Amino acid sequence: MLELTNVTKNFGGLQAVHDLSFAIGVGEIVSLIGPNGAGKSTVMNIITGIYAPTAGDIHLNGASIAGLPPDEITRQGLARTFQSLRLFLNMSVIENVMAAAYPRTSAALWQIILRTPGFRREEARIREMAEEKLAFFGARLQGYRYDQPAYSLSYANRRRLEIARAMATEPKLLLLDEPAAGMNPHETEEITHLIGELRDRGGYTILVIEHDMGLVEGISDRVIALDYGQKIAEGSFHAVATNERVIEAYLGRKHARSQESGVRSQESGARVIDVFDVSR
Amino acid sequence: MSLDNIGQDEWLAQAEARRAARGRFGRALDRLAAANPFVVGGMLFALAALLPLLTSNDYIIRIAGNVCLYGLLALGLNVVVGYAGLLDLGYMAFFGIGGYGYAMLASNQFGIHLPTPVALIVMVGVTALAGLLLGLPSLRLTGDYLAIVTLGFAQIFVLLTNTMDRVNLPWSSAPVNITGGPNGITAIDPLHVFGWELSSVGGYFYVLLAALALVLVVLRNINQSRVGRAWRALREDTLAAEAMGMPVRRLKLLAFAIGAAIAGLSGSIFAAWQTTVFPQNFDVALLITLYAMVVLGGLGSLPGAVAGAFLLSVIPELLRGPDTARLLFYGGVIALTLLLIKPRWRGVVLLLAVLALGFAVKLVAISFWSASLGAAPAPVSTGLGALAQRWLIFPENAALVGNLLFVIVIGLLMAISRLRRPNLRFALLIPTLYLLAFVWETRLAAEPSVTRLLFLGAILVLLMTYRPHGLFGKPRVEVV
Repeated sequence: MLELTNVTKNFGGLQAVHDLSFAIGVGEIVSLIGPNGAGKSTVMNIITGIYAPTAGDIHLNGASIAGLPPDEITRQGLARTFQSLRLFLNMSVIENVMAAAYPRTSAALWQIILRTPGFRREEARIREMAEEKLAFFGARLQGYRYDQPAYSLSYANRRRLEIARAMATEPKLLLLDEPAAGMNPHETEEITHLIGELRDRGGYTILVIEHDMGLVEGISDRVIALDYGQKIAEGSFHAVATNERVIEAYLGRKHARSQESGVRSQESGARVIDVFDVSR
Repeated sequence: MSLDNIGQDEWLAQAEARRAARGRFGRALDRLAAANPFVVGGMLFALAALLPLLTSNDYIIRIAGNVCLYGLLALGLNVVVGYAGLLDLGYMAFFGIGGYGYAMLASNQFGIHLPTPVALIVMVGVTALAGLLLGLPSLRLTGDYLAIVTLGFAQIFVLLTNTMDRVNLPWSSAPVNITGGPNGITAIDPLHVFGWELSSVGGYFYVLLAALALVLVVLRNINQSRVGRAWRALREDTLAAEAMGMPVRRLKLLAFAIGAAIAGLSGSIFAAWQTTVFPQNFDVALLITLYAMVVLGGLGSLPGAVAGAFLLSVIPELLRGPDTARLLFYGGVIALTLLLIKPRWRGVVLLLAVLALGFAVKLVAISFWSASLGAAPAPVSTGLGALAQRWLIFPENAALVGNLLFVIVIGLLMAISRLRRPNLRFALLIPTLYLLAFVWETRLAAEPSVTRLLFLGAILVLLMTYRPHGLFGKPRVEVV
């Protein structure tokens, strides 16, 4: 569904992403991991059109989307959430979701001014669709919550609203930027379950950027690891987690070498997965 | 609250109890806010429509017409600034294009006399196009930079209208007079509605009232649609709106175009009403007043824009006449005292104490210093003014004393606002109010032009301090 070919992004002299290529198939859940500064968010910004790649190309369902403006890319079926939440704080919960339905609507200005039956039908449809997307998250975003301003929501609910808003654009590919940031283990487990449901019930293909390895292990069909803007490993979670270069990126060279010998060293005492394993 | 209750919505459960505790006035306001806006609006418009039938005073009807005109302009500006959040300082140029455009299409300037409906529709279209063009810089500029560029356009417009009375066109030998220069365009055709030629103030009032109602309905419909939501989203967070598939550039241009179209319509009606247009009609001073109206009423609120226009048109007019000015002043002071001091009986006691102080001072002064007392600087023989002047005393150099006390009163008010002990504030308020009445009678009532500006300034400062989101606006939360 999504294909990056030799994507490079330079900011002046800084090479943020170098020669990155990977592909995501329909119905897959792929995780993008890497230490902070590896270029994961830059990759996401390039895919969603906020930056244009310096070199290389991106194809969504065969059509090139490199260099298109973000709203055009969203219209083609790609939606994202933001790492630092960017909700429309002063709008109500339901309005946040209804506003994001814009690319799938077609009411013209004259229809809006005259309130034609076609316009009214579309408004009802948008409202219904918004309620349906919010229902995905259970009772916590329903009922009286619809008309409350978004700034009154707790952090976890804001994250859920952000995902619901992205779903309202009716994408085929959903990009989640650190969906579990700032969540406790119980909430992280909920998110893990939710992402699985998004694929099974919602039918979305999902690309996740995440630091929490428990979440990554729980959901990923495939994992891609980045470091300094380059891909250093790709494969199943186990393959990537035990890859020497990945361990070196996260924990340093000393730990990587002790891993290679196959012996659990007294000092490091862990594979990458165990370092992040808290709840199990 | 025990541990079991945490997480359950106590706040919502107690909403009813809180509502009951608000008092009769608060509850009435709630009912008004919850009522169908079309019903409330319809009633207000019906009342307004009765105005020309209730009074034959052309002055009052003219003010009412101005209120409708400014209301229209405030609504249009509200679309650009309040909905889309784009700082546009060139709005007067659209008003001017509407005025001058209509003048050129329906007067002796070029000998064109288009019928009213055609002229109006053409002008709305032309100004919408101008709005699109002026909005193009908004695609790349934001905030202050957009403000400067649009201000430049406004000044260019005034400059052009002032100088385009001698334009050298390649196909004519003599210079052509396009805009009439500083003398403007005169003898503009009046509006013809359903065959009647409008020449009275009342007629134009009805046209403006109808236009106001139409624009309100149109804007409300747009507000409740996907375009309205998209504008609000783009005002909140432009990047996130773009990421959610909203065509941000087109929406910005649409906001500019619609705001401009409304200004163009107002400008055309204005030109027909005044039958003349001058470059001075569209200068920056008017823009500042317009912004004050929109901000006062609340950015992004339709009734707010109209309320702001109403207040900032009517209050300066009320302050012009000495009787109404006094009514406004004394009535305002008494009302504020009774509203802001709780419990109510303390407010009443305060006013009575001020009255008593006045009489006491007068008694003492007459007994000891009757020689150095004079008459009021601006004597009034009837009404509230006469009563007040009999209650106060006026020393011989009243003007000088008045100036001094003006400063002292402001100092006292500032001191009171900083004090914490309510009894001290109460005690200090008594002489303050007395001195305030004195200053009013000696200096402020005598010079209405200065007083008007002072009043406006005071209202705006107070409102922006205590209610920065305006009368009808909702308090906005920035990134939290």
